Amino acid sequence: MNDESQAVVVADQPATAEPVEQALLEFLRTRLKTEVDPAQDLFGSGLVSSLFAMELVVHLEQSFGIAVVGRDLRLDNFRSVRSMSALVHRLQDVAGGG
Amino acid sequence: MADRLAAAAALVEDLVGERADGWDLAGELPEPVLRELGAAGVLCGQVGPEHGGLGLSSLDGGELTARAGSLCSSVRSVMTSHGMAAWAVRRLGDRDQQRALLPLLTSGRLAAVAFSEPDAGSDLSAIGARVERAGDEVVLTGEKVWVTAAHYADLILVVARDGDDAAVVVVPRSAPGVHVERVPNPVGCRAAGHAGVRLDAVRVPADAVLGGGGQPLPLVVTTALSYGRMSVAWGCAGILRACLRAATAHVAERRQFGRPLIDHQLVARRVAELYVAEQVATRACEHASRRWDAGAPDVVTAAVLAKHVGAGQAAAGAASAVQLLASRGSQDGTVVARAYRDAKLMEIIEGTTEVCQVLLAQHAMTSAR
Repeated sequence: MNDESQAVVVADQPATAEPVEQALLEFLRTRLKTEVDPAQDLFGSGLVSSLFAMELVVHLEQSFGIAVVGRDLRLDNFRSVRSMSALVHRLQDVAGGG
Repeated sequence: MADRLAAAAALVEDLVGERADGWDLAGELPEPVLRELGAAGVLCGQVGPEHGGLGLSSLDGGELTARAGSLCSSVRSVMTSHGMAAWAVRRLGDRDQQRALLPLLTSGRLAAVAFSEPDAGSDLSAIGARVERAGDEVVLTGEKVWVTAAHYADLILVVARDGDDAAVVVVPRSAPGVHVERVPNPVGCRAAGHAGVRLDAVRVPADAVLGGGGQPLPLVVTTALSYGRMSVAWGCAGILRACLRAATAHVAERRQFGRPLIDHQLVARRVAELYVAEQVATRACEHASRRWDAGAPDVVTAAVLAKHVGAGQAAAGAASAVQLLASRGSQDGTVVARAYRDAKLMEIIEGTTEVCQVLLAQHAMTSAR
């Protein structure tokens, strides 16, 4: 019974339970002084200046111990909190599993 | 690391020494000097030993840049452009490209980075140079202006449009369709080899596109410029050191109204201001370099701040140094006259004073509230 109810809770809140996304949302809240949605297009909504785009890259590297270089420096990887979180997980898997 | 910095600084001192005024008047740096500096890793000091580089921190690399800048802003400008090229390869390039290109940049081959165009200066979002895919090759077309060190460069890293995004393409200067033409009589850094670069359907292998391209233009530009701004900022600290050296020597020795110039209080005030300018610029540079070395996200803003502070202080400080040396500094071929012209250019390149101010204001609007 216990196991089942926990599974339901997790399934209900996949976005908010994800720690990388949480940390990114917190960083954006602090730096941009505004609430963003995990799926929101940060560049399309004009929230991100050219300086801040670079700041985001360095922030990801410092916070999650990854290096974002070369082919990973694509807009699609930074478009939203969700896509940045996916990038972080992928690069952490590469680093950890290598 | 301290040893490597000291050795590199000694080499710069040895190769440049007191020759900068002659180079400035001639509008040309001796190529063997640049090749030797390049082969010693001095032109891109932060590239690691695994690629033949010195592996300096940003702070030590900055000190080296200031040392070069205090002797010759034209040599320092070549360091800025070449170092920016190496940084772009490290950041935007794939591992294979880093392994192929960085050893070249630490063994005497020279590189430059081409951003500006006739209609895209402060507004680099208006860049029109374009890269098109053609099988195993890409075709590059466009026109670049004011490319620092392009006159000397073997490799020109061209920032171009790649569909809706951007790409940096590594173009050999010898490739068919590459035309390099020097900017005649630049006001400052006269021997830095500024040139226009026209690219007439230049074909290069697809692996010359850093990271395969498709990278966001603002990210590409800010990445490369962040290194360039650090380098210019340290160079400005160097200009101020040269001015301070020349001015203090002059006011101690020169006598008017029966006493040394320094004993006149209006003169002493200028000396104090020059000292303050050098210290303020250096502190801003040190702060930005420490943030760089810490991998801190706010390094991007700290670099803009250091560049803005450095250029403003250098322009004002060099003007004051000319005033102090008066007739002795009112002729080309003197340290302070050269500093005066070079410093003015620093308020224009790598983001004008006004562009820096807009960026800093944007930052203030989100961070200071």
